[in-house]
Amino acid sequence: MARQNLLPRTAPFGDGERASLDAVLGSATPVQRAWLAGFLAGLDAAGGQPAAAPSAPPKAAEPLTIVYASESGNSEALAGNVAKLARKQGFKPKVVDFSDLDVATLPKAGKLIAIAATWGEGEPPARAVRAYGELMGEVAPRIDGVDFAVLALGDTSYVEFCAIGKALDARLEALGGKRAAERADLDLDFEKPAADWIKNTLKALAPAETPDNVVAVDFARAAPGEDDEAEPSREPLVVEVVEHVNLNSSRSDKETIHLALAFEDGAPAYEPGDSLEIFPENDPQLVDEILNAAGLSGDESLRKALLAERDITTLSAATIERFVKATGHADAQKLIDSGEAKAWIEGRHLIDLLATFPATLTAEHLNTITRPLPPRAYSIASSRKEVGDEVHLAIVAVRYETHGRARSGVASVHVADRIRDGAKLRVRLKPNRHFRLPQDPATDIIMVGPGTGVAPFRAFVQERRAIEAPGRSWLFFGDRHFLHDFLYQLEWQEALEDKSLTKIDVAFSRDQPEKIYVQNRITHNAQELVSWLEGGAYFYVCGDAKNMAKDVRAAVVRAYEIAKSLSPADAEAQVAALERSHRYQQDVY
Amino acid sequence: MDDHSPRDDADAQALAPTPAPRVYETPPKERPITDAEAARAANLAANEHIKIASGYLRGGLADGLLKHATGAISEDDGQLVKFHGMYMQDDRDLRPERTKKKLDKAYSFMIRLRIAGGVISPKQWLALDDIAVTYAGSALRATTRQTFQYHGVIKSNLKRTMSAIDAALLDTIAACGDVNRNVMAATNPAQVGAHKAAHTLAKDISDSLLPKTSAWREIWLDGERVVGGEEEAEIEPVYGRTYLPRKFKVVVAVPPSNEVDIFAHDLGFIAILDKKNQVTGWNVTVGGGMGMTHGEPETFPRTADVMGFVKPEDAIKVAEAVMTVQRDWGNRKNRKNARLKYTIERYGLAAFRAEVEARIGKKLGEPKPFTFTNNGDRFGWTEGDDGRHHLTLYVPSGRIKDYEDGPQFLTGLRKIAQVHEGDFRLTANQNVIIANVPAEKRAAIEALVDQYGITKGAGALRRNSIACVALPTCGLALAESERYLPSLMTELEESLAHHGLAEEEITIRSTGCPNGCARPFIAEIGLVGRGPERYHLYLGAAFDGSRLGKLYKEDVAASDIRDTLEPLFADFAKGRKPGEHFGDYLIRAGHVARTVNGPDFHDRTGALKPAGHA
Repeated sequence: MARQNLLPRTAPFGDGERASLDAVLGSATPVQRAWLAGFLAGLDAAGGQPAAAPSAPPKAAEPLTIVYASESGNSEALAGNVAKLARKQGFKPKVVDFSDLDVATLPKAGKLIAIAATWGEGEPPARAVRAYGELMGEVAPRIDGVDFAVLALGDTSYVEFCAIGKALDARLEALGGKRAAERADLDLDFEKPAADWIKNTLKALAPAETPDNVVAVDFARAAPGEDDEAEPSREPLVVEVVEHVNLNSSRSDKETIHLALAFEDGAPAYEPGDSLEIFPENDPQLVDEILNAAGLSGDESLRKALLAERDITTLSAATIERFVKATGHADAQKLIDSGEAKAWIEGRHLIDLLATFPATLTAEHLNTITRPLPPRAYSIASSRKEVGDEVHLAIVAVRYETHGRARSGVASVHVADRIRDGAKLRVRLKPNRHFRLPQDPATDIIMVGPGTGVAPFRAFVQERRAIEAPGRSWLFFGDRHFLHDFLYQLEWQEALEDKSLTKIDVAFSRDQPEKIYVQNRITHNAQELVSWLEGGAYFYVCGDAKNMAKDVRAAVVRAYEIAKSLSPADAEAQVAALERSHRYQQDVY
Repeated sequence: MDDHSPRDDADAQALAPTPAPRVYETPPKERPITDAEAARAANLAANEHIKIASGYLRGGLADGLLKHATGAISEDDGQLVKFHGMYMQDDRDLRPERTKKKLDKAYSFMIRLRIAGGVISPKQWLALDDIAVTYAGSALRATTRQTFQYHGVIKSNLKRTMSAIDAALLDTIAACGDVNRNVMAATNPAQVGAHKAAHTLAKDISDSLLPKTSAWREIWLDGERVVGGEEEAEIEPVYGRTYLPRKFKVVVAVPPSNEVDIFAHDLGFIAILDKKNQVTGWNVTVGGGMGMTHGEPETFPRTADVMGFVKPEDAIKVAEAVMTVQRDWGNRKNRKNARLKYTIERYGLAAFRAEVEARIGKKLGEPKPFTFTNNGDRFGWTEGDDGRHHLTLYVPSGRIKDYEDGPQFLTGLRKIAQVHEGDFRLTANQNVIIANVPAEKRAAIEALVDQYGITKGAGALRRNSIACVALPTCGLALAESERYLPSLMTELEESLAHHGLAEEEITIRSTGCPNGCARPFIAEIGLVGRGPERYHLYLGAAFDGSRLGKLYKEDVAASDIRDTLEPLFADFAKGRKPGEHFGDYLIRAGHVARTVNGPDFHDRTGALKPAGHA
């Protein structure tokens, strides 16, 4: 495709030259442009003499395998970035989700980049569990001769920070691989360091004969539409809150906020299953406590920064180290030296550190000690086909007490307490292509979403109603009390009425002496559930990753045992097969 | 003290206009409701069609329990479930917020037990307490019909609750609905022999008039459906497939106490005692009932007539005959005209009595004289003629629960039930008797009562009060009742004390609607909800429950009730005769017209003269 005026008018060429260059560059492929860039760079380096090699057609591209273990989509997005850049640099990249990874192919990988997120208390993302287990287990093949590098993603607010990436890194080496670049362990603000790591790692993995003077120019930005898939904007959008209502009854001890957000210039093209990130603000009271503890009360510009930009709750070992470095606090140093810091951190936040080890800090110190305030992602609870230019979310207010202090979830309580109708929020779309309705609307779906896990299923049901999908749908919902916590109860009743929902089973844990959960309802309905699955139904789980998602999976295995009289191992194989065919999808957190 | 040689109303003759001779309709010759006729009769009341279609009270209940997205059942099943002892209700306090929160109404069920005569064992008490704690918001409610009801049981817990009730050897069959409801009996434990006879009669009537359908067991206890033998004669030999036209209430009284409010019920048995306090037979009363509808003067409360006397061995037969005549003669086209009281008004007592006599195959005797003194309870300890001790507790509005910083009725009575060897009796005034305590156990019971702050009595007005539940659970309530009456009584107590009437026994009852669950129309001060914080005020009823009150002031704001009554209290204090009750005084002094019975209930209403000038 010829493009007009690719070169800016400020380019040091005459009009005619510019037109000629535009004609060539505009229709060039990224590889051609990268080659040309390298060629021109090499030309200068060679003192004006045209080198022979670059004028020859580029040699066969170097295969590069990029595997990723992703839960929320960050690792996956980075894997895409690696592939994009690698292609420009003459690699032939292949991106493989851990869920699809056949570990037996790894010895032939040649060059391998692994990007792995760590989830919860040091666990692999749900989709990666199988392949990760194989890789760590006895069946893993030797990978002698493979050059690898590992990028680890994590969250310093969890004790087992980047545990999966670390384990993978060690394992690949133990299996005979050669570490081509040092691992990076990245926190929630990974974007910049990840870009640097990718650049350096690709350089390290590049074959020796490749000129190392290739200039990585992001042509994709200049020529949108050239790449496989248009990426949503990474820039936050400002939305207006048009509905803010607590879905729980006034007699409930829970608080779940239903938010309807209106996009002035049209909602981004989200799909059911996607998430929306909210950029929250910190609790002003906590900000004041921090300022007070740091002896910085009255610093208005710092206060503003702490409110909106810094993560002032998370406390990690690294936080304490940075604190000691900044203050030289001897007692805090002792805590680190004693090896008890990890245990001490449990249930504590930054304010506990400042209160326990009083020190006068500077604004700069606070900046160094804290990390940027990360956005928080929530599964979208609406379909554009039903709500137009709105996005709906269901957010449960997180409040609890530890070590004598009331704690609250940054984003959820910001939304619950400080946001009302008419307020503005900064948000960003976060696609999740691993949580998608079946292509064929005639396919049955089974949805398991207790609590706010039901959010994406509201989107699913809205979508399938709008497109008049002929497939059946079955929702498992659960919470504490039927009367007070039945999120979107009236809407499910309507959906059952208009047949956009075929069937609902509910589990309210605290309505009777024994706790009843969605997994109990699943095994209770074993026969019917398995008959749906055998008829091709897709199975979706959304919500708590720590217990619920595992219990639900075990319940589905059990359902196969019951319904088909299978051994536990054979039933497990059935569920594993569902996962491999992407008919068992999870959006858990 | 009113002495009732039956309907010797010399005063009434004097004060009320002479009634014109009544002309009655001719009773139907045949039972109008055969199945085929019923199905064709398009002008029957909607409930009749529901009953016909229900297959002996099954309807769609079993399927309705499986509809998980809603806490409700269908409207028709909502009518049927009453026959199983339940009302579907919703928390009206929560209604305003629910839709906004995308929540359905907060539906739950009231479950009422069938406890004939209101006697249960300590073991049963503990079982019922456990159910209350587990499924019903930690509260038991003693009703105005000598039984317990639970509130707030959600649909998903109904079967569990019912099976727990079944395990306690109790049930809820026919506790509501167009059937014979829980049969009440006098509780007076001091009259051991008479109480025993009354309780036995109540139990026998309850058993013999119990619906026989297996629907209850089938639906709630997953019982097997009995297949075959679908002949009506076998399934419901007494009721048939359409049951009764309307509810039917039976009570058994032992004079001199009219605690069961004999005149407020469809059918009553008044014990006639010999000199040794042994029951020689029963006076039979028919045609009492409380319910009416605001603005529809053809509906009215009515006190029962004393129809005749029956020997003990014929009592059950008479009960069944009265019920089946009502089954056949009662109005099935208009539910507001369906109670036995309207049947008797329509066909006349003589024709009704003749039909009952025809069905039992013998004549009833003429009524025997009897005397009632009051319709309240005897609080505190009493000793029976067998040397056993009985403690009547005062339970405000029958709420057995633990009050924050107040009496711990639920816990205290649980502790008592754990050590008590006698039984418990519920009274028609919503109170509880710890009955049959051996002398040596009395101190231990007393100690527990004190430890948990349980009340053994109250001021005179409160002792004689009843309030129905009303808001927030009752779907019929137009105004508050149980939540309002205590504060009104506090106001009135001040006022009464001001006139030296603090110890005066006056009956006061309130209901949130005119259906009359707390029997307000036979209370000396009757309050009947009209709208939010507005009540009709009825005065002039007899203290012993034998005469209806009269609408004294319409649509009174709650805040004006005290000011309305204050000058009447003043006049009463000055002008009363010794021993004269408030209701009787108001009539004698000409403040309010005497109501002879139902048909003149709506005549000569209002204040007849200004108050405060005695």
